[in-house]
Amino acid sequence: MIQAKQLIKSFKGVRRVDEVSLTVEKGQIFGLLGPNAAGKTTVIRMLCGIMDTDSGEVEINGSSVEEAKHDFGYVAQYFGQYGELSVWENLKFYAEMYGVKDEAHLEALLERYQLGPYKNSAAGALSGGYKRRLALVCALAHDPQVLFLDEPTAGIDPVTRKLLWDDFYALSAEGKTLFVTTHYMEEAARCHRLAFIAEGKMIAEGTPKSIKSALGDVNVFTFKQSYSPKVTEVIQAVAGVQLTNQFGNDLHIVASKEVSKSLLEEKISAVQGIDVELRETEPDLEDVFIALTQGGHS
Amino acid sequence: MIMAIVKKELLQLRRDPRLMALIIVMPLLLMVLFAVALKLEPNNVKMAYLDADRSFFSDMIKTGLWSDGYFQMYSVESKNAIIEEIRSGRAKAGLYIDSNFSAQLIENEQPHITLYVDGTMPSLTTAMKYNSSAATDQDVTNDMYFLDEDAPNTVIAEDPFVMDTDVLFNPDEKETWFFLPGVIGVLIMQIALILTGITIVREREQHTLEQLFVTPISKFSFIIGKLLPYVVITLIDFYVILGVGWFVFDLPQPSSHLLLFALAFIYVAVMISLGLLISLVSQTQQQAMFVAIFIIVPSILLSGFIFPIEAIPAAVRVVSYLLPFTYFVEIIRGLLIKQTLLVDLLYAYGALLGFVVVFVSASVMKFKQRL
Repeated sequence: MIQAKQLIKSFKGVRRVDEVSLTVEKGQIFGLLGPNAAGKTTVIRMLCGIMDTDSGEVEINGSSVEEAKHDFGYVAQYFGQYGELSVWENLKFYAEMYGVKDEAHLEALLERYQLGPYKNSAAGALSGGYKRRLALVCALAHDPQVLFLDEPTAGIDPVTRKLLWDDFYALSAEGKTLFVTTHYMEEAARCHRLAFIAEGKMIAEGTPKSIKSALGDVNVFTFKQSYSPKVTEVIQAVAGVQLTNQFGNDLHIVASKEVSKSLLEEKISAVQGIDVELRETEPDLEDVFIALTQGGHS
Repeated sequence: MIMAIVKKELLQLRRDPRLMALIIVMPLLLMVLFAVALKLEPNNVKMAYLDADRSFFSDMIKTGLWSDGYFQMYSVESKNAIIEEIRSGRAKAGLYIDSNFSAQLIENEQPHITLYVDGTMPSLTTAMKYNSSAATDQDVTNDMYFLDEDAPNTVIAEDPFVMDTDVLFNPDEKETWFFLPGVIGVLIMQIALILTGITIVREREQHTLEQLFVTPISKFSFIIGKLLPYVVITLIDFYVILGVGWFVFDLPQPSSHLLLFALAFIYVAVMISLGLLISLVSQTQQQAMFVAIFIIVPSILLSGFIFPIEAIPAAVRVVSYLLPFTYFVEIIRGLLIKQTLLVDLLYAYGALLGFVVVFVSASVMKFKQRL
């Protein structure tokens, strides 16, 4: 379990993390979602105790971070293992840092993450996906109850990403608590709970389903439309439209309740020269993400 | 396209203000320092003397030596004391005038006086010999010819007295004896500073430090664990280099192997802990390297390793005494060449230990297991 209260952190006088509080229950996968530079990494570093907070408190399993060091593992955003050492030497090193001597457990970890064949390869020579696995394995060497993962799948191919996520579910099913930062929507949708952070502030928290209500009272319309700058321009000019978001041949329009469907249809039809019919739909997580990030929320 | 790369390199340099400061300030500072330091006008070379004769004539010799300011003279109680003063490093030269000097002089028996010079630094030895010629100058000897009126045809020696020169400790004035002990220190300094200077900053640059700080390791264990291997490696290096000095270059054995080991260990500890401190204050490996060089170069020039400390102007000598290497040079020459007693080296050992304490404390204060 992770608890953070009122975390504040400034760099050079600018608040990068502003009164962030969160609670993650045991066994949950908690996703911290936000655009680049929102403060995700700063939050996770403060939770892991490797960056001082200006103020605020962090507890892991009811203890201070310093006391709880054996209870959690951390996978940083960057590859932080020793490139000159082999996979096995890296794993042994981290195991020893926690006083873990059970080699069978370590061997099993390597097998679980398909690193067996690379046991004696230099860590620096591994591909991106295997480096990520090694980082995860090193963080799991002492079988921690809580795992912090800073953008664990950034730059990873979809197949490996899926494998990693299957594994995150397995870890969660084993009772481990996972704290994940990401800016991938499909990953956010996989979390049990989500928090949304932008410019250092938490602006929404809940399940992936409930978080969509963070947009407030809005309607979401969609229609088949290949990208047209003109249409986008016309719609965005309508008062009350919060967001237009193009997905391939679908255009999503997020607008407050006052904006009538017919008004939008009229505007688009005028540009296109044909009659257009909008369909009402649910907001997508990405709609929420972009709308909140742009400050379109009120 | 070349210009694009040139521009990029310059921009990168400009974005590292600390490195820029090092690049500009370091050469300026060193240049001024060396320009002042390397005027090298040794004066006030300490000379211990015993004038057992205490006559008008022996006074004339002392005055001759004293007058041009090269030697600064003080008297000691015995002939042995002269040698001990030089062995301890308190004096670089000595003068002994026997009690029957003037009696022999009057009898035209051409008495001998002895000039002792420290041979550990051949360049200084040469300079001292040269400057001691003031003692046998015409101004001094003019009044020392005694004509026997009863035997006007007696052949009078050209020189009324003879000054023997006794080169102590390195009688053959071997340059290798003078340089090699210091060379060992320079090599160890380079190895230690470069090895440990980058050790932490590299882990920071490669992001391994971030991963390491999460583990439950204590600050103390981290620092000790980080330094121990380098202390051992550098210590082995020390004896390898010294071994070459002994077996290939005929360097003498030390007065005490225990004291030599103590020196090796403390000196290595000084350099490793200084390297650690460099690694903690530097933000990049490049900066660490520059700081290391910034320490190594003046160490070589101002420590007495190449030029006698006496030759360095007092203002710059302050810098000499802030460099650990100065004390190393003093001790290792004492142990290997002059067989100096521990008592006379204690202050230098103490100084080196002081450096360890300062560097380790500063490192502990500076080091935080935080990003």
